[in-house]
Amino acid sequence: MEPLPSASDLIYFLPEIGLLIVAALSMFIHFAYRKRGHRRAGVVSLAGLSVVALILLLSPAGSGLLFSGHLAADPFSHFFKLVFLISGGLTIVLSFRFFDVEGSEPGEIYYLLPLTIIGMMVAVSSLDLVSTYVSFELFAIPSYVLAGIFKKDPRSAEAGIKYFFLGTLSSAFMLLGMTMVFGLTGATSYPGILQGLGHANGRVALAAMILFFVGLFFKAALVPFHMWAPDVYEGAPTPLVVFLSTAPKAAVFAIFIRILLGLFGRFEAQWSLILQAVALLTMFWGNIAALSQQNVKRLMAYSSMAHAGYLAIGLAAWGETARLAVLFYIFVYVFMNAAAFGLVLLIRKGAGFGEEVSDLRGLARRAPLAAGCILILLLSLTGIPPTAGFMGKYFLFAAAVEKGMILLAAAGALNSVISLFYYFRIGRAIFMEEESGSVRIETSTPVLSVLGVTALILLLFGILPFLLINLASTAGLTAG
Amino acid sequence: MTVLGIPILTLIVFFPLAGVLALLLVPGQRARDLKLIANLVTGLEFLATLLILRGFNPASGDIQLIERVEWIKAFHVQYLMGIDGISLLLVLLTSLLTFIATLSSWEAVRDRLKEYYTFLLFLEVGMIGVFVSLDFILFYVFWEVMLVPMYFLIGIWGGERRLYAAIKFFLYTLFGSVMMLVAILVLYYHYHTFDTLAMLASGSTLPLALQSWVFLAFFLGFAIKVPIFPFHTWLPDAHVEAPTAASVLLAGVLLKMGAYGFVRFSLPLFPEASRKFVPLLIVLALVSIVYGALVSLMQKDMKKLIAYSSVSHMGFVMLGLFTFSPLAIKGAVLQMVNHGISTGALFLIVGIVYERRHTRLIADFGGLSERLPLYAAVFLIMAMSSIGLPGLNGFIGEFMILMGTWAVNWVWAAVAATGIILGAGYMLWLYQRVMFGRLDNPANQSLKDLTVREFATFLPLLVLAFWIGIFPKPFLNIIDKPVEKIVRIVNPGYFEKVP
Repeated sequence: MEPLPSASDLIYFLPEIGLLIVAALSMFIHFAYRKRGHRRAGVVSLAGLSVVALILLLSPAGSGLLFSGHLAADPFSHFFKLVFLISGGLTIVLSFRFFDVEGSEPGEIYYLLPLTIIGMMVAVSSLDLVSTYVSFELFAIPSYVLAGIFKKDPRSAEAGIKYFFLGTLSSAFMLLGMTMVFGLTGATSYPGILQGLGHANGRVALAAMILFFVGLFFKAALVPFHMWAPDVYEGAPTPLVVFLSTAPKAAVFAIFIRILLGLFGRFEAQWSLILQAVALLTMFWGNIAALSQQNVKRLMAYSSMAHAGYLAIGLAAWGETARLAVLFYIFVYVFMNAAAFGLVLLIRKGAGFGEEVSDLRGLARRAPLAAGCILILLLSLTGIPPTAGFMGKYFLFAAAVEKGMILLAAAGALNSVISLFYYFRIGRAIFMEEESGSVRIETSTPVLSVLGVTALILLLFGILPFLLINLASTAGLTAG
Repeated sequence: MTVLGIPILTLIVFFPLAGVLALLLVPGQRARDLKLIANLVTGLEFLATLLILRGFNPASGDIQLIERVEWIKAFHVQYLMGIDGISLLLVLLTSLLTFIATLSSWEAVRDRLKEYYTFLLFLEVGMIGVFVSLDFILFYVFWEVMLVPMYFLIGIWGGERRLYAAIKFFLYTLFGSVMMLVAILVLYYHYHTFDTLAMLASGSTLPLALQSWVFLAFFLGFAIKVPIFPFHTWLPDAHVEAPTAASVLLAGVLLKMGAYGFVRFSLPLFPEASRKFVPLLIVLALVSIVYGALVSLMQKDMKKLIAYSSVSHMGFVMLGLFTFSPLAIKGAVLQMVNHGISTGALFLIVGIVYERRHTRLIADFGGLSERLPLYAAVFLIMAMSSIGLPGLNGFIGEFMILMGTWAVNWVWAAVAATGIILGAGYMLWLYQRVMFGRLDNPANQSLKDLTVREFATFLPLLVLAFWIGIFPKPFLNIIDKPVEKIVRIVNPGYFEKVP
């Protein structure tokens, strides 16, 4: 046991340290400037995230263990750290547009975001129950605040409260599961637990695993622990929904990947069954519920649930192919979700934004470029080539078929068809219906840039998926 | 074989994208330039597809001009293209019909031209891609890519119920294709490749139970596209609401993809399952023939009538394919081309009066032959071609199918023959009601005959109708060997009996 981390360990910890500095700087700027301090804080935070991303890309992806084996600095955590930074960056860009229109910009979000990301970064590197739980809360608590930060809007306050209460409840379940694991094995490190669980009481261990899962299912909004998600996603400020619907989910999937074989390898048959059921329920629930939604945010909330369901297929069919598939899909999902919620910010209605599907009418005539990007996005969300969404789904279904879960793959495919119906209600409004007059369509640079980057990424990885596969496969190899 | 340093198949698949690029650079108000670019590109594309003939050996039954590049290494997906006689005919048909469809839109489409031609060109990429892809994932990509522009063509430029028809078309066909995707993945974990050539060459056949499931999943994808009864209900809606050019391509090319899928993939890759499901397929084909024809008889709308006649005609194609006799399969492949020519032309014919009168109801017309003699002549020839009058293309295909079928089972042939009789009935009755009688509707008094441009769109189709009808040999020659190869796999007994 080393009392202090050695200097070489800290090299791997640079992104987290960097983010801490970014958060502090941003907070300082926010308070130092009376006029437009919040916007400056945002710019600093965005620049900081980019620098950290650069550091991350340049720093070596070792396979070493840090802090006496509590954290792993492997390509796997590297990959997820990049995903969080991207999600955070997109959120900040969209926030600029959102608060330009809505006013009363809370500068706090610009340093809460880096802090949340630090929590997630530690969570995905963690190889120890205690640090997993602590880091889990480290990103959970600021995300409750983020959901409820827009005090002007009662919907946002409601979202924050709802998220907070249900979130703590599920954390409690998870903690109980962890305690039972510790009680059974006397170890907190993953390798120690894996060894200990091998000859522990099967039933108790299984119960512990299920409790552990409940907490994770909740955070990833998987059915049947999803009830909070549509309300929170509809109520929270749109750009923050982009973050809340992607980054915590990605973190949860990373934790899943670490613990499925790393902790509960003994129960592979059981967790595979549980995850299959959850995947099925989540896909169908999300897609069917989305069918009747008229509000774009709520529709996309259900759609993002459905996508988590597709991802759960990959967990259920965990193996060589699934590793690739899940990482590929998470990366793509972050961009898709950012653009899906972001497109609402193009439509002005009254003092705020038009959030109904019918408000999008005639967008193709007003803003053809944005409409083109949205078309690519819709194709990708549905899973139609040549987009990355298709490739991702194809890999996920391939993983399921590889493990003999042909019906699960067929159910996933069927869900793509169901989702076509509501995604192309949006497509229909944009391309085939005439403007309704009560809304103004504004081409704002931040939103257009998010849509444009997303469209490019979706096409790039849809046509040349091996670029992302290389990244995902080096990352996937070192987990689980 | 390369043209300008680009492999020919890649060139013909992606050349329309150059047109898309050019369209995007031209401002939307310059309608004439947009039209010129689109027509030029589709015209050049047709010429480019003719270039294939230079490097193609018609005496061989093998896949030729193969292009193979590693695409997604981790999943063994390849960019694999190749062509044989069957796909060559369909590629030529596609590029010709796309050019004709583009030309026919000159006056008919006035709104949002840039998007219109962009979607048309994207559609062409997808259609040609389907016919030359030999890797299942690549095939699937083109198969799906094609749905999107068609959805928009119907949904934006279509008739009154276009929104409903467009999404119905999209949902139906996507449902069929995703089930096919799952089957493709199942195949992958059996053969460890998506390369259909390697699958054929490996010879290791799937166990019959698995083969049957995979066959049925592919069947769903292809049968919806053909469409075979009872999967046809999207077709009348889509056809009736689609703008003329989209109807032409829908009938002329998209319906062929289902039949092409059966002949290219289902028969040779799942021979045992194909044999097992012959009764099912034959019954459905016969029902399609008779049902399609009967429903056509009762239609009041010209476009709907022709749409249902497609169900009947495609039933013939399916009948020919599943008799497993070389003669009938050759007839079926030729009939795919014939149907593209005659039904494509018939949709153009309806489009022309619709453009002038904004109605397609048969009852609104009558006696048109007085005012429009040239139009009447073109209509007559194409109606006869669709009925199967000797001397025109339809006869050759139907006759070969019936001959081949008769040798296998005379009852099937007899039932199918009633379809021909009914076909003559609905087509002649349609012609009679629209063209003959008295020109008593005052709105029709001032109708104008075909313009030069309109006649030019029909000219290639007329030439082909007579060419295939009188001298089909060049067409039959290039499909002879490929068909024989397929029959050897799916029906090996045939060549043992008849040396």
